[in-house]
Amino acid sequence: MIRKIILLILVMGIGKSYAQDTKEPQNDGTATEVVTPPKEEKSHFMLRGFAQFGLDASSDNVEFNMTSFNPVILYRQGDRFLFESELEMEYMSNEFSLNLGYASASYIITKGVTVKVGKILIPFGEFGEKLHPSWVNRMADAPLGLGHDGGMLPMADIGVELRGGLQMGKSKLSYSIYCVNGPRLKDGTMGQEEAGMLSWENMNDNNKNKALGARIGILPLSNSSLEIGFSGYYAKPGNSTSPYAGDSMNMDLNYKDVTALLTAIDLSYVKQIAPLKGVIDIKGQYNMSDVSNATYLKPGDTNRLTNRYTFTNSSTAYYAQLAYRPTMAGNKILKNIEVVGRYSVYNTPVGSLWESTQSQISLGLNYWFSWRTVLKVGYQMSDGVPAGMSGMSMGGASMSSMSTSTVNTFQIHLAMGL
Amino acid sequence: MNKIKVITGLMFSVLIATIFTQSCTTSKMIEQKSGAQLWGENCIRCHNMPSPADFTDVQWATIGLHMQDRVNLTDAEAKKIVDFMKSAN
Ligand code: HEC
Repeated sequence: MIRKIILLILVMGIGKSYAQDTKEPQNDGTATEVVTPPKEEKSHFMLRGFAQFGLDASSDNVEFNMTSFNPVILYRQGDRFLFESELEMEYMSNEFSLNLGYASASYIITKGVTVKVGKILIPFGEFGEKLHPSWVNRMADAPLGLGHDGGMLPMADIGVELRGGLQMGKSKLSYSIYCVNGPRLKDGTMGQEEAGMLSWENMNDNNKNKALGARIGILPLSNSSLEIGFSGYYAKPGNSTSPYAGDSMNMDLNYKDVTALLTAIDLSYVKQIAPLKGVIDIKGQYNMSDVSNATYLKPGDTNRLTNRYTFTNSSTAYYAQLAYRPTMAGNKILKNIEVVGRYSVYNTPVGSLWESTQSQISLGLNYWFSWRTVLKVGYQMSDGVPAGMSGMSMGGASMSSMSTSTVNTFQIHLAMGL
Repeated sequence: MNKIKVITGLMFSVLIATIFTQSCTTSKMIEQKSGAQLWGENCIRCHNMPSPADFTDVQWATIGLHMQDRVNLTDAEAKKIVDFMKSAN
């Protein structure tokens, strides 16, 4: 670890010296009237961000909500150093939360290599890092499983990242590789109904080993319209010691060797297509999470023979989205209208106390007032057995016997990039 | 589950192979792309395209760095796009 840090500092140092040979504007003094080119400010501070305000209505609830107000602070020093940070302010279901979305410093070491440190957005798949701001996301909310609450994927974490883009012939390669604190395994000692889940809110790490991850994006077409991304993330999320150390009955339970492997494929295709008179935007992401098997304790059962259970700890979440906007239409109003549809699914492990299956069809009609101000009107049909309903189905009773519930929601949201 | 992994692996290898064979050919066509063209191709992929007039030169320098990082643009692309934004605002 120490060797890695020293190496990083060295690399940064080399980058710095390379940065110093930037050109100064030359002035030979021969002209009588010297027009000096406007000097670029060496450093620049910028406040941006986004906000979303809306109304969600279902058959038994009508609610105004402020799903996001996220100021983003950017600070540039020279032409290689950038600090970026995002505050997430959310007011939902009577609760206000303030979160540090990300706060990281990046430095371009050399062509195609940027080093980034701090609380970084995790480049796992495409949605979390590149599409989550409400004015970028074409739907009013995140796909199932990819949101902030109860999501199965890492969103942001503290660590180091190397990333960049490289031209390879007519294709391009986009890479990110990172090392972060990683998730914590909920072993059931704090909230037995969540045993086996990964907790991503983990600013103090619970063990020595770090999580490692990478995403490789390939843009095979020379016009950059298609990107296919492959992501992997590996962590050992368990505590290094047994949480039942003093409990003679359960001290054999240990989670230090539990491993978590997450993988994802994402796809993005965006292109203006003349015969269709507009822009087609296709997005999709398929995510899998596999946590190795472990034994947990059943709530309220003290019988040594029956109080343990295990399950195959695999979750999947995926979505596919298609949007179309007639940007080439003659009519000014029509030009700004966009139709969008999304199908999304989220399945949590069968046999766990948080077993659930959810699917959702979302249809949306957007009106763009500017390139980053949009009114989204949506209709969402969600089906599923939410987590907790299948509580005691452990080790057998399948979810199909459970009645699925359907909720239809009407949404109207105004999202603004600030 | 395993099938998916095999298919992913296969797709990945095919893509990598394609890239390596392609990268042997010269990419004059890429080198000759203008900042305006790169702006049109790249800045539409996640959000609508901002127009150069939306920001000042200093702001474009900062945004250029921010987007180069977020999108993993190549250095040449980022430079050409920012130069174009500054010249057309
Ligand atoms: C891979 C997706 C993606 C692509 C491609 C992309 N952007 Fe962005 N852009 C974003 C995201 C995400 C944000 C919001 C950043 C945030 O708030 O954290 C953003 C924000 C912005 C902003 C608001 C100011 C800021 O820096 O946050 C501007 C301006 C912008 N992008 C311009 C561009 C330009 C110009 C291009 C073409 C080079 C481009 N974008 C390409 C994803 C993208």
